[in-house]
Amino acid sequence: MIVCASLLAGCDKSVGPFEVLPPLQPSSMEPTAGSWRMILLTGPTQIAVAAPAAVTSPAYVAELDAIKTSQAHLTDAQRKAIAYWSGGGVLRWNQIVRELVARYNLPPAPRDEGGYPVPDAENPFGDPAFPFANPVYAARAYSYVSAAQYDALKTAWYWKFQYNRLSPARNDQSINALIPLTDLPSYPSEDAVISGVTVDMLKSLFPAAVEEITLKAAEQRNAALWSGKATASDIAAGLALGKAVAAVFLTRAGGDGMRTAGGSPAIWKQMADAAIARGEIAWESKDVPARPPMLPLFGQVRSWMMTPADVIAQRPAAPPSTSSQQMKDETAEVKRTVEHLTNEQLAIAQKWNDGAGTYSPPGHWNDIALEYVRDAKMSEVRAARVFAMLNMAMHDAGVSCWDAKFFYFNPRPSQMDPSIKTQIGLPNFPSFPSGHSTFSSAAADVMSYFFPSGAESFAAMRDEAGISRLYGGIHYRSDIDGGKALGGRVATFTLNFAKSDGAQ
Amino acid sequence: MLLNRTARALVFVAVSASIAAAQSPADGLLMPKKVFSPGVVYSQDSWSEYWEGTLKRSNGNIGRLTTKSVTFAAGYGLTDNLSLLATLPYVHTHASQGVLSDMSGIQDLTISAKYRLLRFEPGRGVLSAFLVGSVALPMTKYTADFYPLSIGTGGGRTAARLTVNYQPSDGWFLSGSSAYTFCSNVRLNRNSYYTDGQLYMTNEVRMPNVVENSVSAGYRRGRWQLPLALVQQRTQGGGDIRRQDMPFVSNRMDFTRIEGGLMYALNVPENLSLRIGAGHVLNGRNVGQSTTLSTGLFYALHF
Repeated sequence: MIVCASLLAGCDKSVGPFEVLPPLQPSSMEPTAGSWRMILLTGPTQIAVAAPAAVTSPAYVAELDAIKTSQAHLTDAQRKAIAYWSGGGVLRWNQIVRELVARYNLPPAPRDEGGYPVPDAENPFGDPAFPFANPVYAARAYSYVSAAQYDALKTAWYWKFQYNRLSPARNDQSINALIPLTDLPSYPSEDAVISGVTVDMLKSLFPAAVEEITLKAAEQRNAALWSGKATASDIAAGLALGKAVAAVFLTRAGGDGMRTAGGSPAIWKQMADAAIARGEIAWESKDVPARPPMLPLFGQVRSWMMTPADVIAQRPAAPPSTSSQQMKDETAEVKRTVEHLTNEQLAIAQKWNDGAGTYSPPGHWNDIALEYVRDAKMSEVRAARVFAMLNMAMHDAGVSCWDAKFFYFNPRPSQMDPSIKTQIGLPNFPSFPSGHSTFSSAAADVMSYFFPSGAESFAAMRDEAGISRLYGGIHYRSDIDGGKALGGRVATFTLNFAKSDGAQ
Repeated sequence: MLLNRTARALVFVAVSASIAAAQSPADGLLMPKKVFSPGVVYSQDSWSEYWEGTLKRSNGNIGRLTTKSVTFAAGYGLTDNLSLLATLPYVHTHASQGVLSDMSGIQDLTISAKYRLLRFEPGRGVLSAFLVGSVALPMTKYTADFYPLSIGTGGGRTAARLTVNYQPSDGWFLSGSSAYTFCSNVRLNRNSYYTDGQLYMTNEVRMPNVVENSVSAGYRRGRWQLPLALVQQRTQGGGDIRRQDMPFVSNRMDFTRIEGGLMYALNVPENLSLRIGAGHVLNGRNVGQSTTLSTGLFYALHF
């Protein structure tokens, strides 16, 4: 026994490392990326970048000397930062955003006197913290970060090949390249562009994390300089460009309908009354005490690729009536499933739970996507394209799903039959169609377009994510089928863009 | 003849009394040599308030959380100085409110060896010290990812314990016990989780080790035993439950608990002993403020 104890004590219990990102060695310089179709910008020249000083100018030579001085005194912490960011800015920030979503994906606690406080962007450090990064908040956040990074990088690529200023390590043999060196022009610095655009998007989306976001972004720019990848002027131009692109996206975000997506008690009642008027049982919160529905007007938030008319046109046909035999049968199926759940089914329900406190269903698909993007050795701009399309499709899936959920206002299985107990948390919004099924279907289609060799695997994940909601006891089968069909229709809009953006 | 019968009866009483007590790794008792004592303990533990980190609260989506267990236990005296103990509980959890499913199943098999390091008679009474080694292993694939309803941590544990017991000749006793439990890592069915201020992108959870200290005092004489104990658990790491989050398997679960018991060896039928126990958490962190009631029945077989 004592031997056992000492053996266990000596063994290494550390977990990780996670999602190892080797130094990025992109398979292409993407010289045409400056002409790829923009999401919001009118074109790459919308953000002007002034011509850099000549590489023979005293100012540039002084910048090179500054790099040499830095490289002569690199600390372990600085080398660690270089190694960390060498994995690629798009991929690193994707990890960071997932962490922020997981941190803020917690609903407000009830007040002692009853009811719930509303997260307040003006008081993000309070209780409740702002935001409550629920699945649709998260879908929108991932999409804004990714789409803004994508437009910013296309703009950067345009100016890079306009000015063709090589990296410091290429321009001066005495500067060490501490990361794999490429011939990609370094003015403006893509690392600084990513840091500038991402930090401004995240400050708005996760204001309470401003300090660590700012430090991370500064570290990314410093790493570019210390590693011999960019000079101070490459970085300054990139940072300014990134921030200018962020401003365009933040203007859109300010008016996209998110601020009013919480609705009001009168609106919630109208939604319930409309369901009752159609002869249906209206959804009720099963939280104790009853909690206001999660962002009931998110269905009116602007989509990326769909017009409001498109959203309504793609709305699924009504789910089975709450008084129908089919609804009775499907409710009975949920009950039968959870009461005879196998270990394998529980494992699937937990694998795809992605509930409160996690990076959410859209985060799960970013997790899946990261390894494909990494292994494909994509340039920063091409990696940004994949995440932009994936996350815009999932945002649009969220909008369309929420439109249908709150139009039909359909009760959850545990409301139809209170004896149905769930294996995962019961989401606090109407049942039809399943959000995870909608997200996963849209994501699987986008991923299959970019990585056709993985198509079979993505389809299997979509189906498993869908059925996991039945195993968890939180969705009827028709919610899952309806969500999968809707997600596929939504993805078509994104894919139509991707197929004609000049980047194929 | 008469003397003989009286002597045997006395021996049985003494044997039964110590069997009733010597089912716990923490106490200062051993099984008599070549006595095998199987038993069963029913226990019910419930709480309606818990500590979310250090914030004490109730939760409408849980109401009162009740854990019922039936533990099969056995002890065997291998030598006069070495006893083996084993326990295997069946556990059922239930929340009185909300929609979360009950959980139930066979939990972990714990096997302990308790060795008397020394026995010393300083003049008045007896001072003894015991070393206990334990290994615990989950016997079924129950889920550790559904706290507070999970029936256990789902991980293996190895523990070392030292107990010192002083028993004056008048039946009173005083003992102190400390244990260090090494907890092996636990695997979840998902590939990412957030705890202790960090997103972990793996299905493996690092489980903090656990220190337990207890002091107990009481009375043991004849057929009776009345122990009273104060138990403190300190988890060596792990994160707090976040505001309005679910508890997590590797949370820093600390508590101070008061426990009392009553054990009685029956005269008829002989070889049977009964025990009841009660416990209450006085304060804690990331645990429920639970009250526990238990009752057990043990039988002694002589080889």
